[in-house]
Amino acid sequence: MSGVTAFLRQPLVVALILIAALLWLGETLSPGFASGQQILRLLIVAALLGIVAAGQNLVILGGREGIDLSVGGVVSLSAIVAGNLMAGENAGIPLAVLACIATGAFFGLINGIGVTLLRIPPLVMTLGMLGVLQGLLVVVRQGIPSGRAAPALADFVSRTFLFGLPGILWLWVAVGLVMAFLLNRTVFGHRIYAIGSNEQAAFMAGVPVKAIRIALFVLSGVFAAIAGICLLGYSGSSFANVGEQYMLASIIAVVFGGTPLSGGKGGYTGTMAGAFLLVILQSILTTVNIDESGRQMVFGATLLVLMLFYGRGRSMRA
Amino acid sequence: MSRLQLKGVAKSYGATQALRHADLDIGAGEVHVLMGSNGSGKSTLSKIVAGSVRPDTGEIVLDGKSVTIGGPQAARALGIAIFYQELSLASHRTVAENICLADLPSRGVFVDRKALEARAAKYVALFDGVTGEGFSLHAVVQDLRADQRQLVEIMKTLAGEASVLIFDEATSALDRAQVERFFEILRDLKREGRSIVFISHRMDEIFAIGDRATVIRDGRIVGSRRISETAPAEIISLMVGAQEEAAAPAQAAPARPAGGTVLSVENLSGAGFSNVGFELHAGEILGFGGLHGQGQSAVLRALFGAGPPVSGSVELGGRPLHPKTPRETIRQGVAYVSGDRSRDGVMTGRPILENVMPIHYLRERMVLANPSALGAKALPALQALGTKFAGLGYPISSLSGGNQQKVVIARWLIDRPAVLLLDDPTKGIDLSAKADLFALIRKLAGEGMGIVLYASEDAELLDNADRILVFNGGSVRRELTGAERTRFNLYQAAYEAA
Amino acid sequence: MASIEVPARPRSSAVKRAFERYPFLPALIILLVLIALNGWFQPRSVSLVGMTGQVKTYLALMLLAVAQTYVIYAGDIDLSAGAIVSLVNVVIVGVMAQWGGDGVTIFAALAIGLATGLACGIVNGLVVAALRLQAIVATFATSIFFTGLALYIQPVAGTPAPAAFWRTYGGRILEIPFVFHMAALFAILLAVLVRTRLSLRLLAVGDGQQEAFQSGLPVTRIRMGGYALCGVFAAFAAFCITGDTASGDPLVGGKMTLFSIAAVVLGGSALSGGYGTVVGSVIGALIIGFINSLVFFVGTPSEWQNLVQGAAILLALMTGVLVGRRARA
Repeated sequence: MSGVTAFLRQPLVVALILIAALLWLGETLSPGFASGQQILRLLIVAALLGIVAAGQNLVILGGREGIDLSVGGVVSLSAIVAGNLMAGENAGIPLAVLACIATGAFFGLINGIGVTLLRIPPLVMTLGMLGVLQGLLVVVRQGIPSGRAAPALADFVSRTFLFGLPGILWLWVAVGLVMAFLLNRTVFGHRIYAIGSNEQAAFMAGVPVKAIRIALFVLSGVFAAIAGICLLGYSGSSFANVGEQYMLASIIAVVFGGTPLSGGKGGYTGTMAGAFLLVILQSILTTVNIDESGRQMVFGATLLVLMLFYGRGRSMRA
Repeated sequence: MSRLQLKGVAKSYGATQALRHADLDIGAGEVHVLMGSNGSGKSTLSKIVAGSVRPDTGEIVLDGKSVTIGGPQAARALGIAIFYQELSLASHRTVAENICLADLPSRGVFVDRKALEARAAKYVALFDGVTGEGFSLHAVVQDLRADQRQLVEIMKTLAGEASVLIFDEATSALDRAQVERFFEILRDLKREGRSIVFISHRMDEIFAIGDRATVIRDGRIVGSRRISETAPAEIISLMVGAQEEAAAPAQAAPARPAGGTVLSVENLSGAGFSNVGFELHAGEILGFGGLHGQGQSAVLRALFGAGPPVSGSVELGGRPLHPKTPRETIRQGVAYVSGDRSRDGVMTGRPILENVMPIHYLRERMVLANPSALGAKALPALQALGTKFAGLGYPISSLSGGNQQKVVIARWLIDRPAVLLLDDPTKGIDLSAKADLFALIRKLAGEGMGIVLYASEDAELLDNADRILVFNGGSVRRELTGAERTRFNLYQAAYEAA
Repeated sequence: MASIEVPARPRSSAVKRAFERYPFLPALIILLVLIALNGWFQPRSVSLVGMTGQVKTYLALMLLAVAQTYVIYAGDIDLSAGAIVSLVNVVIVGVMAQWGGDGVTIFAALAIGLATGLACGIVNGLVVAALRLQAIVATFATSIFFTGLALYIQPVAGTPAPAAFWRTYGGRILEIPFVFHMAALFAILLAVLVRTRLSLRLLAVGDGQQEAFQSGLPVTRIRMGGYALCGVFAAFAAFCITGDTASGDPLVGGKMTLFSIAAVVLGGSALSGGYGTVVGSVIGALIIGFINSLVFFVGTPSEWQNLVQGAAILLALMTGVLVGRRARA
């Protein structure tokens, strides 16, 4: 009995059950919602969020109130940089990808340095960085014609690539595998958990705490940049602040995936489910015929209810 | 006449039963000592009475009436106050605010500052003369030393003006003068007819202040004795239990080992110590003794590279060592085990395997972590200490305190260090774990490792160290070798005016 | 026998104590420098008119920063603060429009607005403290809910506030600009609040929830008190915004949330709780205001303004955190 309860309380299981329930609900409200084609479309949207959430997940796992509020800014910037560099030409893709990843890594590096060497709280550092990125977006957009996605990139995101699935889903699966390998089978992964669970103890055991934490922020920037490129492919052309929505959504996806904001435990498999869950929820709300205000109220309230499924904080009275 | 009675109180956390069945009877005007190794359930029992832990079953009777204690607030209302072992202070608040925090003197919605300070001053005055430098009503708690914080927690407990007071290891950081003052206060409280539950690991304190001692083992009350009618040996045998009595601390071989110098320290000065120098030989267990906080820990942490920068020269195996970070010193063969395992040792919530491997990762410069290959390395290290665990994948938090510390120590056994620094490693672990630990240390020394042992319990030091450096005021006052290693000499050097 | 570990205080304690007692000192210095620079580049900006304009524009942010401070005291955070501002803004504009714009109605509307802010704060408190959800994600969820509610009341921006309301806000009483009266009133209110039990207990909870609970403090109720206070001050902020913009806008406060957090940190309070001052948060909000005006006054090309502002705020945040820590260490 308690074994079943324990199984049902696992974040990943919770997320999968909720996903199934929401798909069923969507299908009931609007027949065709849970059709294969439709689910594929939802998965593509979820992949974009999921890739951003991978970086967010790493930063949160590293503990010490790790959080990256600047991911949305990096996504937007990356989409613009990519759009401008490829300007609708396939030949521009390699350079664009390199430039975007370098950009993401650069801002991640600055975040990481601020958080570790200057010991600025992550929330503050990345919040400030978000302001810088938003300013930079305005500058970058000025005077440069808005870029367009290369055809190959658009196809990669939306068209079938392999075994009936678009390339972005394969990319997402690859990200999932890399993350799982990184976290469970590498020393780096074990060290992430170590600093997330007890930074002082990790330091005393010779873990290079600062280097690891900087690496986490760099990876977060890189994942956000990759998501930005994919987002460009998804929407065709880059426009202002496309990435803004990913800031808090990525955090929620991580939390719905069973990684608590305090870090030190959890993993990416749950986060993938969390991202999908969030996307389905949003999609249901757009499907249902209510106006924007109602949609927002239902969305907010549902998020709260879902959070209750993920277990609440410990009672102070044990 | 009994003031507080516990009847069949039990508490379990998941699968671990912290308290199986506790019956306890505490009289008015009595100092009732609770004894037992760590993890035996003392703290759980205290917290149940204080309302911060919810019991699963059992009845609590206060002054003849059965009561339900709904939380710490309710406990206070019933006249129960507790000193928490881990302290319950707000570190950015002042001493005065902390003392009165639970029951702020107020006028309407406002804090009555004058009344607050007047009330706090009353409790600070009790410790007049022993509070030490920098202690005042307006001092911010985080600026205080460990012993001073403990005094604040004591004052805060006293300020509850409760009829039942629980002190869970309230003296662990206090010096002798502070302890004596505290005991005078306890005797006054006793005369006023208040009931006191007193928990301590120090046998001398228990016999100095206690009226009755109740021993608790594995979550069960195993016996209760009048202090006047018992002796330490009887208490210890109750604590250990008949079957484990054989596991007494290992006796040190008094012979001086003949190995060469592995660690030599000259003129080492830093925060909390100055001009410390010594040589450590291979195969030797060098003891650091003296009162708590005389620089022993600071020296060990400095040698490991975990403290603030130091001056002086250190040589490891003939090569200069510049201890800047643990990472560097570990690579060069230094190991350090802290007594504060929850702060410095245990990666809470992570599997046992991940808790054993970090040193191996570092020394072997590993990149990949293959669980089965790692398990093969971890198991012998854990077994060498007789660690009890269900599996490498279980979280370390599922183990008892002693076993957690064994896991932390096992880290250092996969790749043998040249020097092992032990910083009060047995703090708060049970006797059988201590015995396992000291047996291992002796064995490691026999294999040629150089070991420095700082122990806050004199008996551990006398039993295990081949040579003892007595610290006082941040420097080495005396070296005790061979037959000089007596309790008398140790005390004399420790208490000598600095 | 005193132990000698940890030498007592390495730095001359006067400086340290000053910084410990007034954590906003670094922020104050930054603010004074900014005001001087503003005056250097645009002398008119430090005149009474210039200052009035600055306070008129940023009084709302100051109040929202104060609101955020009470929550941060206890180690919590409120990502819905801006959404509460929006909601109260449309509520009071709606009520005033519905009932006509005379004096009594305005006061009734403000009372309803205050009640709305309080209610939102209590909802946050219930969700975070009573239901024990993680503050960041839970208040993000409530912010979506409050925004939805604001959109329901007023789907698009533009309903005007009655002239009597914004004329008063922008006007003068006894030759002194109204906003200064308000600022003085709020200053008194803050001075009163500092002395309350709630203030002290919020800080104690922020120092360690478990410790506070074990000490016998009603932690859940105290944290809810912090959120309630936050809601009330968010409502005050909404009043000022309404006075400044003279209209209702269901999204007006959204952007303010992150600035309110930045202002609190700029003011020297610890995000982890237990340590800080409301005065610091007010200064923090002013710093943001004067950075924005300075960037304008030095003639930054318009497309670069956001970037320079963002970079300057980041720099100020970092400086504040670093200087504060240095001074206290």
